Amino acid sequence: MRFLVCGAGAVGARAARHLVADAETTAVLVDDPDRRRRAAVTSSLGDKAEAVEEPDPAAADVVVLASPPPRHLAVAKRAVAAGRHVVSVADSVGAVEDLLDLHAEARERGVTVAVGAGFGPGLSCVLARHAAGQFDSVDEIHVAHHGTGGPACARQHHAALRGVGFDWRDHTWRRRPPGSGRELCFFPDPVGGSDCYRAALPDALLLVPAFPGVSRVTARLAATRRDRLTAGLPMLRRPHAEGRIGGLRVEVRGRRGLSRDTVVLGAVDRPAVAAGTAAAVTARWVASGRMLATGAAGLAALVEPLPFLQELARAGVRAAVFEGL
Amino acid sequence: MALLRRALAAVAIAGIIAAVLRLRGSGGTPPQSGGWRELSGPGLR
Repeated sequence: MRFLVCGAGAVGARAARHLVADAETTAVLVDDPDRRRRAAVTSSLGDKAEAVEEPDPAAADVVVLASPPPRHLAVAKRAVAAGRHVVSVADSVGAVEDLLDLHAEARERGVTVAVGAGFGPGLSCVLARHAAGQFDSVDEIHVAHHGTGGPACARQHHAALRGVGFDWRDHTWRRRPPGSGRELCFFPDPVGGSDCYRAALPDALLLVPAFPGVSRVTARLAATRRDRLTAGLPMLRRPHAEGRIGGLRVEVRGRRGLSRDTVVLGAVDRPAVAAGTAAAVTARWVASGRMLATGAAGLAALVEPLPFLQELARAGVRAAVFEGL
Repeated sequence: MALLRRALAAVAIAGIIAAVLRLRGSGGTPPQSGGWRELSGPGLR
């Protein structure tokens, strides 16, 4: 199997490292506009890795998009046109909407475009699907994110706090002002409690199509007071090379028999590490034909959650459940 | 002129109160019981 990894940053480099470690991988092509970073990552990956000047989706079986989200659509379009599968870690509303619009063409060509296949969205969608397996029907899904990965992720976090959020409520979309809807969310240790707010997050866009009949889907982002105060300004300093430990919290409410119940799942990890792992596992699954459907969709609609979470756990990304509700 | 000054003062005070309310306050109550447990077993439950 040949993979093209676009973006050799915090997430792309991790994804590429996982892919070269797989016995069935024959080549990992690494593309990044930063020539020095591209060369450094490629040389650290060994013989299977090869640096490329321009991304050519036709040269690989699966294209992994780990570059900043605005660059995803152009490469994804070329990949789908060439009949290649795509795995994108896009975490912005605009990029996710653009990629989901490729659904019809991807279905027609029999390829999969896995949208938002990182930590959040990505692992969050798989956790929602896993929790949903404990219910006869799902009524509500509430996702909260904490922390950021590399610099592109930090910029996206900053932008999300000033963008309009989209909630799915009573089977219709509602626009929500950024920074509203404060909720104290508890993530697995060591993250713990953090105030979370509505923001421009793509989770609901990916979850609603995967759960027909769901009446409420919301997404919130953990933010400090300084984050919120400065959200309307340009970033005041350069984002860090990589964020500290982050977390996910996915609350699913539904019906089991005649009763209503709630399941809360979560995960903590360095977001870039977990996102790179999730993207690599998704890419391997796509390449080996393990996806449940073709077309463009989030992981909640594309993967069988239990074996996916087991594979992530073997790679060191573990999920947790909140007990005692 | 006095009316304009009063209106501006009222708007400024309202803005300060809104900023304080936005940046302070409590988002909820911590859970009083329960805790996180790593998913385990063949069914990851």
